[in-house]
Amino acid sequence: MNSQILDDCSLICYDFKPCTDYFDQVIGHIEDIVMEKEFQSLQKSFMDKYCDVFEDTDENKLIYMEIFQDYTQIIEDYIEKQLNERMGSFDMDKFAEDLRLKRPNLDGEIFDLLLSLFDFVMFKEMILDFKAEKEGKFNDVQLGIIVTKLTEFDGSFMK
Amino acid sequence: MGFLTVLKKMKQKEKEMRILILGLDNAGKTTILKRFNGEPIDTISPTLGFNIKTLEHRGYTLNMWDVGGQKSLRSYWRNYFECTDGLIWVVDSADRMRMEACREELGVLLEEERLAGATLLVLANKQDLPGALTSQEIKDILELDKITTHHWSVIGVSAVTGDKLLNAVDWLISDIAKRIFTLD
Repeated sequence: MNSQILDDCSLICYDFKPCTDYFDQVIGHIEDIVMEKEFQSLQKSFMDKYCDVFEDTDENKLIYMEIFQDYTQIIEDYIEKQLNERMGSFDMDKFAEDLRLKRPNLDGEIFDLLLSLFDFVMFKEMILDFKAEKEGKFNDVQLGIIVTKLTEFDGSFMK
Repeated sequence: MGFLTVLKKMKQKEKEMRILILGLDNAGKTTILKRFNGEPIDTISPTLGFNIKTLEHRGYTLNMWDVGGQKSLRSYWRNYFECTDGLIWVVDSADRMRMEACREELGVLLEEERLAGATLLVLANKQDLPGALTSQEIKDILELDKITTHHWSVIGVSAVTGDKLLNAVDWLISDIAKRIFTLD
């Protein structure tokens, strides 16, 4: 019986997996979480609420920082809650420690991902883009309505 | 610990430093920031919010935060303490009337727990003005010798002429680098 189990390669592999990469698991989950609709609608409703406050100027208003701090708190709480649900329990200290050990060969994309969620300058860019898009869409609708020449064209076609 | 702290650790890998520039209003914080960044300094009006500039210097990326110094704005400074590696305290060396207020405000900052790990660089600015106190005099008036909680230095500079500014930042970078990039 014993030798049968020992011979079973999958069993040996199984033994290794859980301890290999806690860090990769966490990053994988975060990548999933931020791609999901629920997260994106959370982000969008936040931006929708505050984007009118933001202007594309060099000097920032003090209120931007307060809005940003609210934002990071909401995003952080959400991600932690989701990680806890998905992983049973999520250990931030362990994640941070893994990160420290992995520093020399860390993937740049992982850095960009976290940066996009928790960096003020990136946040400001994102919310300004959102605002521009919101206003841009409005213009598109206007353009669509203003196409009056179509009726003239239709008229000439009828003749 | 939160993700912000984690991110901070990642930034250390990228040799990034976060520098916070504070001081009373009209000390010259924004002028110093723009001078570092090579921007014109002839039309600077009082800062009511905050400015951020990212500079590359000696292989380091410096994220510099300059927050308005008017009295009504100072209660907001606390929002900018997180993850600060270096604090630049800018002094108008010619403003003798407000040295007491200057010393008191700095004292409050040095007791702040979130700035506990930050290196302090005091810039005795406006050395080009007649009647400016020297860096030695600023050191005495601000009682810098009493500081035991932070690495600190005081350097007389002029944001307008650019005099000694680079030396000052070089000192700040070296001190921070010694503390955070040689650990591990």
